[in-house]
Amino acid sequence: MSATVLHGEVGVSDEKQAAAKSAGRRFGALVVRLGAIAAFAAIMAYFVVFAPGFTSTFNLINVVEQSAILGVLAYGMTAVIIGGGSDVTEGGIDLSIAANMGLCAAVYATLLSMGYGDFLSVLAAIAVGMAVGALNAIAVVGLGILPLLATLAVLNVAAGMELTLTQNTVVGASSPLLGLLVSGSFLGISALAWALIVFSAIMIAVIHGTAFGLRLYAVGGHPEAARAAGLSVPFYVSFTYVLSGFCAAVASILTVSRLSASTPGSGELLLSVLAAALLGTVFSRRFVPTMGGTLLSVLFIGLLANGFQLLNVSSYWVNGVQGALILLVVAITSFARGSEGSR
Amino acid sequence: MSVSANDSAKVSVRGFLAKYSVLIAFAAIVIFFAIASPTFLTPANLFNVLVNNVVMLAIVALGLTIVISSGGIDLSVGVSVDMASMIFVMLLAAGYSGVVGVAGGLGAALIVGILNAILITRLNISPFLATLGVLFIGQSTQQLATSGGQPIYLTSGYAADQFNAIARTALLGIPTPVVVLIVLAVAVHLLLHRSVFGRYVQAMGAQPGVAWYSGIRVPRELSMVHVLCALLAGVTGILLSATVKSYVPLSGNAFLLDAIGATFIGTTLSHERKPSVIGTLLGVLLLAIVKNGLLLVGWNFYWQQVGIGVLVFLVLAASFGLRRAAH
Repeated sequence: MSATVLHGEVGVSDEKQAAAKSAGRRFGALVVRLGAIAAFAAIMAYFVVFAPGFTSTFNLINVVEQSAILGVLAYGMTAVIIGGGSDVTEGGIDLSIAANMGLCAAVYATLLSMGYGDFLSVLAAIAVGMAVGALNAIAVVGLGILPLLATLAVLNVAAGMELTLTQNTVVGASSPLLGLLVSGSFLGISALAWALIVFSAIMIAVIHGTAFGLRLYAVGGHPEAARAAGLSVPFYVSFTYVLSGFCAAVASILTVSRLSASTPGSGELLLSVLAAALLGTVFSRRFVPTMGGTLLSVLFIGLLANGFQLLNVSSYWVNGVQGALILLVVAITSFARGSEGSR
Repeated sequence: MSVSANDSAKVSVRGFLAKYSVLIAFAAIVIFFAIASPTFLTPANLFNVLVNNVVMLAIVALGLTIVISSGGIDLSVGVSVDMASMIFVMLLAAGYSGVVGVAGGLGAALIVGILNAILITRLNISPFLATLGVLFIGQSTQQLATSGGQPIYLTSGYAADQFNAIARTALLGIPTPVVVLIVLAVAVHLLLHRSVFGRYVQAMGAQPGVAWYSGIRVPRELSMVHVLCALLAGVTGILLSATVKSYVPLSGNAFLLDAIGATFIGTTLSHERKPSVIGTLLGVLLLAIVKNGLLLVGWNFYWQQVGIGVLVFLVLAASFGLRRAAH
């Protein structure tokens, strides 16, 4: 609040109409953004009051655990959108990320069940994930295929390879690492929750705390300007796709630990991942994708599902409410953008 | 001099290859499967491909062709398919006549289209996010309406049998669903490439700002685009239900990625990468023939998906990569 008052004073003291106008616009955008966040807060407040056990530490940690897989995937997607620009048809997007996770999980579980150790299996899963990411990078950067199309083709390849590898069955898996992830805990917080916390900290630090992250935004925001400034646009864009593949591999290990197996159907996560990455933009001042925003929206989606569960609302409602909220938030955001003028 | 002439000849060869990579791939694939499998080129098999793999996907892809021409996208086509299928089957199961069933089914798809149109043109939500939201809402709606995804089967009532019969009969030797596709494809082709509306749509896709300043009523035309797309998807929903005599919740989403893929494969035909009805139909045929051919050669369902992914990747790589080299 104090920040907005400050903006207002600066605008008036300059006595420049344009400045006052822009401050007014900024104020409007802030109100709208706070409105969207207030809508989130209102829903949370409702759960706190009416959902029994919602605020218990056990439950909150449970939500963080459940959000770990979606969160790690959404970070990969966010990085791709940051580096590729957020244009709908031409911008960065990785449709293959969920299928890639399925493939990595299948590789990991299959190798474990064949008797290879954790080290080799994890290494193989990460290698596969990053190889799929590299394939996306070659297609998008090297061949100039639209990301939407390139990753769509790779989605089919990855999903098909997962099916071939597992014959569409559940591959059970157990190992010391999985045991640790399932039952290990530190400071009363379980290993899966720690995985999300640590991964989030690293991603936020790399993307928002380093020159590298800043350059990534430059590349996505205005590729020509970035090129003119001497940045290697192909390198940065390629990096995001390989990072996205790495995230898929990490998520695959988390999902195998949660289910004690690799299971078919991981591709269904794609839409939730997209929703989380795009919904996160509302938490940023300029409505750009940020890692922090993505984390908040992932937790929000997790809390929403959890709150419904505690209120005994049918889980069939969750998708619909999630969809309605996306529309609400985005409508508010586009309204704010409109009042800001063209970007 | 001779060097540069040589270069330009090379460039034009590359340009030619880039432009016709889809057609070349198409021909190569047909020849390959014709040699690899004796049953591939038989009329019975081609008939089977056309009816089972092409028609429904093609009608959905026609709708997406209009939307993608306008510069947008519709991720909720699966919802339109499902809602039309659901209402159609529910009405028939409740004993209403076929006309009421079709009207109800198309009406349900129309509602999805209008919802998309309102979100995109009135609330200024980007088509990607608007239709993603509608997709989520549509999935919930179906789960709630069917207590979590129970299929609805049509017991053999009069109207149900009649529709099933229509779906399986032939008109002048051409299967009825194929006739429906041909009529719709010609209509969409005329609409998109020969009408004022089509020119507006193309203009919005190429230069949205210029379209606006040129006095095109962008919101109105864009609403029309999304309504048409949903209605076409609705036709597929009704054909689907009539063929399998049931409604299976959330089955429409299977069309989404293939239809997007087919439409964009089709764009490689045009120099400016514009979607076209002919290109889209070619894309659908390419996907269908590869699926069918791989099946005949003896690849199982899982390998088919890998094969299609690799093939689409190669076609796109050839088209985009060669064109980039030609410039």
